[in-house]
Amino acid sequence: MTMMYDTTVVVRENRPLSGGHFLLSLHAPRQAQAARPGQFAMLHLLGRSDVLLRRPMSIYDVKAAAPKGRGARKSAEIIQFLYKVVGRGTRLMSELKAGDAVGLLAPLGHGFFEEEYLDRARQADKILLVAGGIGIAALLLPARQLAESGLRGRLFFGARSRAEIVGVQDFRPWVAATALATEDGTRGHRGFVTRPLAAYLEKNAKKKCLLLACGPMAMLQAVVKLATQYGHPCLVSMENRMGCGLGVCLGCSIHVLGKGHEAYQRVCTEGPVFWADKIIWEDARVAEAG
Amino acid sequence: MRGWRKPDKGLGASIVLRVKAETKQVCNRKAREKVMEDSSKTRRSGKPSKRSAPGGNTHASDQVSASADEFVPRLEVTIAGIHFENPVWTASGTFGYGKEFAHLIDLNQLGGIVVKGISAEPMEGNPAPRIYETDSGMLNAIGLQNVGAQRFLEEKLPFLRTLRTRCIVNVFGFSTDDYVRAIEILNEGDGIDAYELNISCPNTRAGGIVYGSDPKLTEEVVAAAKKVARFPLLVKLSPNVTDITVFARAAEAAGADALSLVNTFVGMAIDIETARPRLSNVTGGLSGPAIKPMALRLVYQAARAVKVPIIGLGGIVTAEDAIEFVMAGAQAVQIGTANFYAPDTSIRVIEGIRDYCRRKRRHVADLVGSLKVA
Repeated sequence: MTMMYDTTVVVRENRPLSGGHFLLSLHAPRQAQAARPGQFAMLHLLGRSDVLLRRPMSIYDVKAAAPKGRGARKSAEIIQFLYKVVGRGTRLMSELKAGDAVGLLAPLGHGFFEEEYLDRARQADKILLVAGGIGIAALLLPARQLAESGLRGRLFFGARSRAEIVGVQDFRPWVAATALATEDGTRGHRGFVTRPLAAYLEKNAKKKCLLLACGPMAMLQAVVKLATQYGHPCLVSMENRMGCGLGVCLGCSIHVLGKGHEAYQRVCTEGPVFWADKIIWEDARVAEAG
Repeated sequence: MRGWRKPDKGLGASIVLRVKAETKQVCNRKAREKVMEDSSKTRRSGKPSKRSAPGGNTHASDQVSASADEFVPRLEVTIAGIHFENPVWTASGTFGYGKEFAHLIDLNQLGGIVVKGISAEPMEGNPAPRIYETDSGMLNAIGLQNVGAQRFLEEKLPFLRTLRTRCIVNVFGFSTDDYVRAIEILNEGDGIDAYELNISCPNTRAGGIVYGSDPKLTEEVVAAAKKVARFPLLVKLSPNVTDITVFARAAEAAGADALSLVNTFVGMAIDIETARPRLSNVTGGLSGPAIKPMALRLVYQAARAVKVPIIGLGGIVTAEDAIEFVMAGAQAVQIGTANFYAPDTSIRVIEGIRDYCRRKRRHVADLVGSLKVA
């Protein structure tokens, strides 16, 4: 088990971005230094007796307190969360100000580069990072780690409209190319992210690709279908409601291939990153609709 | 693909390990200091033995004989013949099998751990969504997902055995035979201190009537379980009944050594955008601070109806909450939903109870049922 820390930390900045998005920066050196790509945090809004549960948040970035730079993470002090206001928890988060205290349990879960994922990943010669909407938040750390080990990925990012294309500039130093898509055509390709992705896969049909994907269930399902069609392995970062993040409430379990009690795995503990072919997607869709 | 060989390079893997080692040392030192501090407070010396229960909740005079300024409140309680260092336990389904919290709190400080409900066979549970947050509470319909009795003994119990903390195993089934079978398997376990019978399951043979909502079924399953149980038997009552005293008496008559109350209140929530229920199971159990006043009322009523000890739970977050349950008649309390978002709740509650007792110059046992009703 990886080391996790549960401490009260201080908000450094809560910067509003376009389309109802925010970038929350917390001063949390222990959590920031322990974080690995694809892991998440449970964020606790303190002092509220009506909103009890912590919120699961992908770890967007970790960085040093002052100067920017490459080797920053060894002395990382700041942990960042890119989020969109969608409900009560995120609305309360958006009201946080510099100096406020929040509870932070992190890092949690199995990220993208855990040992059991590497066997198949090692064989790839193209890495495709595929994000839908706020799913972008889970992909910056893996993009950076890949780049640092000499392998630049390609980013495919789809959102509803121009205002929801956030964070792209943060990816620029770490990816070889970026393809954008918006449903209303206000930026990049018109339509879903699967359009530019399908075109790329068709053009590079002979290459061995590995896909890392995060986004809404319908988007993930479409991406996985494409990956399967072209015979590429695909790692997905899953979302679900979570009660604890510690693996005890069993609230975030999703249906996977397996028998008996192994047919359900916890997004917080066995995930959030899974091989796509392990997940029973029909049931995942139903769950999201509910 | 050179870059893949060392996935942690560049992310400070060595730092993680070092921090981990340091934290462990700190934790161990703290734990040791705590043990020493505890033993100096009580009349036992050294590490208290899990098996040999000392005087229980009778008040030894040597404690009180210390000078008035140094009043040392006694938190320990004896329930069903089992000695507990303090009256604060973690509730079933909110604390896994204990180990999940080992990084976060000192488990040895807890009075007891009630582990996630165990059935004779493993269960896979309900489809998602299984939980939904409501005002000051949460709904859950997990569907009793668990590893089954045999794997619990092999994989989970060995760790729990290493703790000083009492281990209570929550047991459930869908027929009386299921309950009996689960207990028969668990009887082989070394390190279990008691069972807590979850009778909130529908009896599949009796047409899905919930055991805990029919006094006859309650009596039947408790009697059958008591007959085979090698360890003391607690029965966890459902609050979803018209008169809790009928069920408390039924369980007592059938041989229950103690009663835990309450389990969750059945509730539901609807997403009006999609006109669908928020839980795949449509209804679920409501827990958290929202249910505390109702749970407290039920503990109060049950405590006046039976002689066996009562363990109170339902929305406890603070020491004040816990003391309310004790005053209403509970000899011990369980912390549930709060474990999800504040894993140190039990520790804070224990400290808060200690402070209160010191201030009031009373032992915990003196507070049980001390509510003054004019």
